[in-house]
Amino acid sequence: MNLSRSKPALGSVSEKKKKNQTKISRLEEYLQQRDYLGALTLLEFQRSIGEVEEHADLWIGYCAFHLGDYKKAMEVYKSLTMNPDCPAEVWVYLACVLFFLGLYKEAEEAASKAPMSPLQNRLLFHLAHKFNDEKKLMNFHQNLEDVFEDQLSLASIHYMRSHYQEAIDIYKRLLLHERDFLALKVYVALCYYKLDYYDVSQEVLAVYLQRVPDSTIALNLKACNHFRLYNGKAAEAELKNLIDISSCSFEFAKELIRHNLVVFRGGEGALQVLPPLIDVIPEARLNLVIYYLRQDDVQEAYNLIQDLVPTTPQEYILKGVVNAALGQDIGSRDHLKVAQQFFQLVGGSASECDTIPGRQCMAACFFLLRKFDDVLIYLNSVKSYFANDDTFNFNYAQAKAALGNYKQAEEIFLLIQNEKIKNDYVYLSWLARCYIMNQKGQLAWELYLKMGTSSDSFSLLQLIANDCYKMGQFYYAAKAFDALEKLDPGSNYWEGKKGACVGVFQLILANKEPKETLKEVVPMLRHSGNSQVEYIIRILRKWAKDNRVHII
Amino acid sequence: MERGSTLLKNQPYDESLEVNDPEDVTSVYSPAPSGHTQSESRRSRRGRGLMSANSNADQSEDDHKPLKGGEAAGREPRVSPQQEEEEEEEEEEESDEEEDDSEDDEDDDDDASGAPEGAYDPADYANLPVSSDIKELFKYITRYTPQTVELEHSLKPFIPDFIPAVGDIDAFLKVPRPDGKEDSLGLLVLDEPSVKQSEPTVLSLWLSEESKQHGAPEMKKVTSVASPQSNPRLVDGWVDSISALHRSKPPASVQYGRAMPDIDSLMQEWPAELEELLGRLTLPPARLQCGAAQYADIICGLLDIPVHGSRIQSLHLLFSLYLEFRDSQHFTRRT
Repeated sequence: MNLSRSKPALGSVSEKKKKNQTKISRLEEYLQQRDYLGALTLLEFQRSIGEVEEHADLWIGYCAFHLGDYKKAMEVYKSLTMNPDCPAEVWVYLACVLFFLGLYKEAEEAASKAPMSPLQNRLLFHLAHKFNDEKKLMNFHQNLEDVFEDQLSLASIHYMRSHYQEAIDIYKRLLLHERDFLALKVYVALCYYKLDYYDVSQEVLAVYLQRVPDSTIALNLKACNHFRLYNGKAAEAELKNLIDISSCSFEFAKELIRHNLVVFRGGEGALQVLPPLIDVIPEARLNLVIYYLRQDDVQEAYNLIQDLVPTTPQEYILKGVVNAALGQDIGSRDHLKVAQQFFQLVGGSASECDTIPGRQCMAACFFLLRKFDDVLIYLNSVKSYFANDDTFNFNYAQAKAALGNYKQAEEIFLLIQNEKIKNDYVYLSWLARCYIMNQKGQLAWELYLKMGTSSDSFSLLQLIANDCYKMGQFYYAAKAFDALEKLDPGSNYWEGKKGACVGVFQLILANKEPKETLKEVVPMLRHSGNSQVEYIIRILRKWAKDNRVHII
Repeated sequence: MERGSTLLKNQPYDESLEVNDPEDVTSVYSPAPSGHTQSESRRSRRGRGLMSANSNADQSEDDHKPLKGGEAAGREPRVSPQQEEEEEEEEEEESDEEEDDSEDDEDDDDDASGAPEGAYDPADYANLPVSSDIKELFKYITRYTPQTVELEHSLKPFIPDFIPAVGDIDAFLKVPRPDGKEDSLGLLVLDEPSVKQSEPTVLSLWLSEESKQHGAPEMKKVTSVASPQSNPRLVDGWVDSISALHRSKPPASVQYGRAMPDIDSLMQEWPAELEELLGRLTLPPARLQCGAAQYADIICGLLDIPVHGSRIQSLHLLFSLYLEFRDSQHFTRRT
C-alpha cells in the first residue's frame, strides 16, 4: 500500500480506486510490504495517541534498521541501553547499527557488552575483517555454524575479499536445499558481476526479478550489467525505470542511484554529485579520480587518491595510473616507481592477470621499465579491444618503434586522432623517426616545417639530420644540417653537412636523386664558408659541366 | 619467418580473453614478484604473462605444457630460447636472428640494435664509375658518423572506465523481529525496503482521520519541497495523495434551517412552454442593472429555489444544483 505515489504510467485508474478504499493497515501488513516508513509512522502515531504496542521501541528500531535509517535506529537503541532493565541483546543490535554507520570501534565496544550469540559472533567476525585482524578473523570463523545465517555471513566475507568463487560455492550449496531462497540468486548474480561474467549475472538475476520486479538492488545490478554489456544509455534506462516506480519518500539507495547515474552518463555531473558521496560509496572517490584524469587534472586526481590505502584491484590500478601520470608530468622517479609496483601487483595477481585491465597494467609496468618486448606481449594480447583507442595506440606504436618495427609503428601512430597527443613532442619525434626509417624523409621534414620554432623543433632537426644521414637520405639530412647551422651558428655542423651534401652528390651519380638537386646543394655548401667548400664545389662544378647541369 | 607462423603467435592471447566460462577464470598464478631482483622478476613475469595468456590455448596445444609446468611448480625464472623454439619466444627475444629478414609480418618486433633495415651502406656505391677526385670526395660521407638521437618515451596511462556501484552482499548482521518471528529477510527476499514507501505526513493525516484524533499529531511535521520547479513529481504526488485523502472524507453536509426542495426535484425538466420561451429569450445576464443580492433572488426564483431571509442557504442549494449538473454524465455528454 502506498499513499504518496504519484501517477504511475499504467493502471492509474485502478490504483486510485484502491487508494480510496484503503483502510489503515496494521503493523504486520506494513512489514509484509516492507513499507518500513509506513510501519514507523504507524508506530509513532500509536505512541502519540497513547496506544502503545508491546516493545514499541524495539519495533521502531527494527523498522528504522531495515529502512536503512541507521542514525535513527542508533538513537533508539542507545536510549534503550540507558534504561537499567534493558534486555542485554539490545547491545548487539546497537553494535549492528554502529557497524553500518562505519563506527567500527564503537560497534566492537557495544558488541562486547552483549551476551554471546550467533549474531554477535558474526558481527565480531565482520569487524575483524574490517580491522584486518587475521587472527581474530580465524577465531570467529571457527565459531560459525552450519546454519544459513552463518554461512551467508561467511559468503559475504568471501565476496568482500574478492573471493567470488568461494562465495558462489556457498550460495549454490544452500540453494540446493532451499530452492525458495531466491535472494541468494541475487548474491550469486553479484558475484558473477564482480567476476566480469555479466551475461551470466544477468541470467541468474532474472530469476529474482521475475518474482520481485521492483527490487532496488536487483534493478541497480541489472543496470550495471547493462552498462558493462552495452553502454551507459542502456544502463541509464534501467535506472530510470527504477526511479519511476519508486515513491518519493523512498530514500533507500538514493545515493547509490545518483552515483550510478553519473557513471552511466560518462561523468556528467560528477563534480556536483560525487564529492559529498566520497565516504558514503567507496566507488565515488575512485570515479572522481577517473573524472579528474579524464579532464587532465592530474594534480587534483592525485590529491584525492594520495591517502587512499588500496585494497581492491581497481584502487591499485587507479593509484598506479595517477602516479604514472604525475611522475611523468613532474619527472619524479618516486612516483614512477610506485606506479610500476602497483601495476605489477595487479597485473601479476591471480584474479587480474587474465583481465583486460590486468594486461594493461603489466604493459604499463614494463613500459615504465622500458622493456618494450614485454610491453608488446601484453598489448598484443588485448589489442583487439582497443581498435580505435588513441591512448592505447600511442603506447603501442611507441613500443613497436622502440623495437625497430617502424612500419607498423608508423601505421599505428597515424591512426591517432587526438590533437593533444598529435602535438606532443614524443609523438612527433617518434613519428618522424618512423618516417625516416621507412625512407620517407620528406614527411619527417614536413613535420618539422609545421612546427613552430621551439626547442622541440630544434631537437627534431637534430633527429632528422642524423637519422636521415644514417638512412642515406642525404638531401633531408643536408637541409636539416643547414637549418641547424643557421639556428645555432655557435656549434659545428660542418662535418655532418659536408657529408650529407656529398651524399646527395653520390645519390645523383647513382641515379637515386635528380640532377637538379645539385642546384640546392651548392648554395647550402657555400653558406658555410669553410675552407673545404671551394674544393668540393670545384669538383661538383666540373661534374655539372660534363653532365650539362647548370649550377650557379 | 612467414606470415603463417606469426598469425599463430597472436591467437592464443586474443582467445584467452574471450573465453567466457566461469570455471576457467583463474589461470595459473605465481606469487607477486616483489621480492625478486629486477632482471629475475622480469623474466619470471614474462614467463607467466605468456603462460597465463596461453592458459586456454594450452588445452589444445600440448607443446606449451612444459613451460606451464615449469613455471607453476618451480617458479623457474628463466625460459631459455633454446629450450622453447616456439613462435612466442622469438617475439620476445630481441637478439633472435631468424627474424631479421622478416618484412611484412605482424609482430616482427625485434632488432632494436644493429643497423636498421635500409641504412646507408657505402659498399652499395663502391662501384660507381667515377673519377678518383670524386671517389676521394665520397670519403667525406663516411667520415661523419651520425649521432644516435635518443628519443623520450611517454606512457599514456590508460584511464579506467567509470565504476558503477553495486553494493555489498547481505552479511546477516541484522536486527531480528522483537516478537521472535522469522522475517526471512535476505533469504526469500532481499533485505531492502520496498520501493513503495508511505509518505509519513500523508499517512499520519490518514491515521488521525481514522481515529478521529484531530490536531496533535498532524501538526508535528510540516514537510516542504525544496525546489518544486525541478521536482514536479514530488509536488504532484503530494497533491494527489492529499486530494485522495479529502475525497475519502464524507462530503460536508449542511442542515438547512427551513425545508428546501431536494436536488432531484430541482433538476426536473421545465414545463414545455418555458423551454420553448427560453429558446427565444436569453436568461438575465450577470450584468443586469441590479445589486448582487437582487440578482441572486432573481436566479433563485427562476430555478425554484426558495429564499428565506438570509440567502446563504439558498445559495448553497443553488451551487449544489450547479455542481450536480456539472458532474452529471448525462449533461456533460450533451454539451
